[in-house]
Amino acid sequence: MPTWMLIAKGAALRFTLGICALGLLRLLLLTALDMFAALRRAGDRRLPLGQIARQTLSWVAPLARLHRSRPAYSFASFVFHLGILFAGFFLVNHLDILKDLLGISWPSLPKPALDALTLAAIIGGAYLLLYRLYAASSRRLSKLSDYLLLVVILNILLSGYIAGRPWNSIPYDSLMLFHTLNGIALLLVMPFTKIAHCVLYPLIRLGSEIAWHFPPRGGEQVIHALYGPEGRKI
Amino acid sequence: MAVQSQTPSKTSARSPYFYHVEPPPAGEQTADGRVERFLNAFAAILRFSNYRFLMDLYARASAKCGRCAVSCQVYQATQDPQDVPCYRTNLLLDVYWRYFTNAGQWRGRLLGDSSLSEQKIDEMAQAFYRCTACRRCTLECPLGIDHGLVAHLGRYILSEAGIAPKGLVISVREQLEGKTGNTSAIPLPALLDNLEFLQDELEELKGVSVSFPVDQEGAEYIFFPAVSDYLMEADTLMGNAAVLQAAGVSWTIGSQYFDGINYGLFYNDWVLERIIQKLITEAHRLKVQKILIGECGHAARSARQFVPAFAGERSLPVVSILELTWQAVKDGRIHLDPTIVSERVTYHDPCNIARSGWIVEQPRQLLRSFVRDFVEMRPHGRENYCCGGGGGLVSLDETHDFRMQVSGRTKAEQIRASGAQIVATPCANCKKQLRELMDYYQLPVQIVGVHDLVLRAIQL
Repeated sequence: MPTWMLIAKGAALRFTLGICALGLLRLLLLTALDMFAALRRAGDRRLPLGQIARQTLSWVAPLARLHRSRPAYSFASFVFHLGILFAGFFLVNHLDILKDLLGISWPSLPKPALDALTLAAIIGGAYLLLYRLYAASSRRLSKLSDYLLLVVILNILLSGYIAGRPWNSIPYDSLMLFHTLNGIALLLVMPFTKIAHCVLYPLIRLGSEIAWHFPPRGGEQVIHALYGPEGRKI
Repeated sequence: MAVQSQTPSKTSARSPYFYHVEPPPAGEQTADGRVERFLNAFAAILRFSNYRFLMDLYARASAKCGRCAVSCQVYQATQDPQDVPCYRTNLLLDVYWRYFTNAGQWRGRLLGDSSLSEQKIDEMAQAFYRCTACRRCTLECPLGIDHGLVAHLGRYILSEAGIAPKGLVISVREQLEGKTGNTSAIPLPALLDNLEFLQDELEELKGVSVSFPVDQEGAEYIFFPAVSDYLMEADTLMGNAAVLQAAGVSWTIGSQYFDGINYGLFYNDWVLERIIQKLITEAHRLKVQKILIGECGHAARSARQFVPAFAGERSLPVVSILELTWQAVKDGRIHLDPTIVSERVTYHDPCNIARSGWIVEQPRQLLRSFVRDFVEMRPHGRENYCCGGGGGLVSLDETHDFRMQVSGRTKAEQIRASGAQIVATPCANCKKQLRELMDYYQLPVQIVGVHDLVLRAIQL
């Protein structure tokens, strides 16, 4: 059995998936608990939940919005996310591994469709990387980790895509080893990097709204903590 | 001709920032202590507020895609990466991550990197006030990060570290600790004289006696306009009073507190709450049922949003004069002559009541009901562009060049493109900024309040 398969079907991937799932679950739970505690402290606990839910859902499939702001970048980002989600969760090879490891599975999607989505995601991801490198506004925002994460994801997409092409001259097992190692690296860092937005996304708009619900006497307590019981003059 | 702009100098000779800051009291604070003061303030605010979970959430999830840049009128004018809302937000998130998370502290110990420095504080002090707090960028953030809220928090921390615009601080000092108890320092006798003058003017204008009741216990509404309206916006106030009388509303002005302005919304939550408590105290003194806010965007938003938050069981409903007037028109309690206002009119949405509030359609329907030639700017409503003077900037005269050349440029272009002869906007701050913009860009457009037009058309 080639090395990549040993990794993919062995303890390494099981351990990695465990870290990823538990880490993300921990993040999700702690964030939800923190938000709940913040809402309990708030003086006014009424929330426009319907409006928040609509806004959150509208960005899940934001086709009507993509053209409004940085259309090329937005479209690239959309297909990038789409390709990752579909290739990651609906490729038969991935589902076979998941079934071996955890005994769970769901229907896969046809490979040609996933190939097309993966190719679109590669092009989209490459555009995002180049934009981050060359557009001053994005470059100024970016840290090393922003580039590295994009590169790791592009490695995964590209190696997975090339491995299945008849014109590929790179040994299949080498590509799959590269694919697997990058995949494991990504799963390991997911809970500790901005990729965590994959699970935190549903909570962010709600959190932004809750944070505007200030607790009564919070400002006064800050003043007392900083200046003692006599406070300060303005 | 399209309006042209330049980026004004980011600093002035009198302050390291483009706004003036009061020097610290002698012996109380040195420049060397600013980092410590900032971190102490940040720690105290995180402990006693609801910002901590949000910092954590944003620091973990922000994808830094930069999509917000395009929607920001400041970035549109400067194309400076430092004006990207997400960049500004990350200035504060970096400090939070470095000093208030385990991961950041460990990284600091291991790699010896220190996120906060004097220069970084200066950068934040500049950046958080180059934001007009209009929150337009929140519309375009796919994740839902509220950069306006982060700018608000950044300003709050800075203010407790001794960095706040002098113009705002002086106004608030007079409002909360001064003799007059209002931001325009109007003594009560002067207010009463002013009300008498307004009553006479209104009688002369409309031939009907319209009262400005003061200290009427048990009235339905207590009225808080932006107090500067008493000095500068006579027509707006007369329009308000005419509507209230014609609609048969019982209302009063409080002699002990009559200022709707709340600059706390712009820079400090402690100040914000103290001002809200003054509104509530006066409302209960006069045993009214509701709080009525005049034509002022931030006053309406701060009262509507924070009276329920800070007043607890003493909370009262908060209503905008725009809601009340439109309701009175719909109910047939007031009649507006549709033949009077014949100029082309457009409406500017104050960000605080449109994007961050609940007033979008009411003033439009009101204006359309009697203005013959009403046009919209593009975009408008919740997607409107800020006048450029939001977040308190318009109260800082030293920011004039920035407001004209940078933050207000897009709005000037919008108004020019609308072809309007009159811009109606229900906000004292927006009106001041837009008048200065019209002068600066030499656009022959009159800036008025919505009730200035109502006053012209109302039949008493």
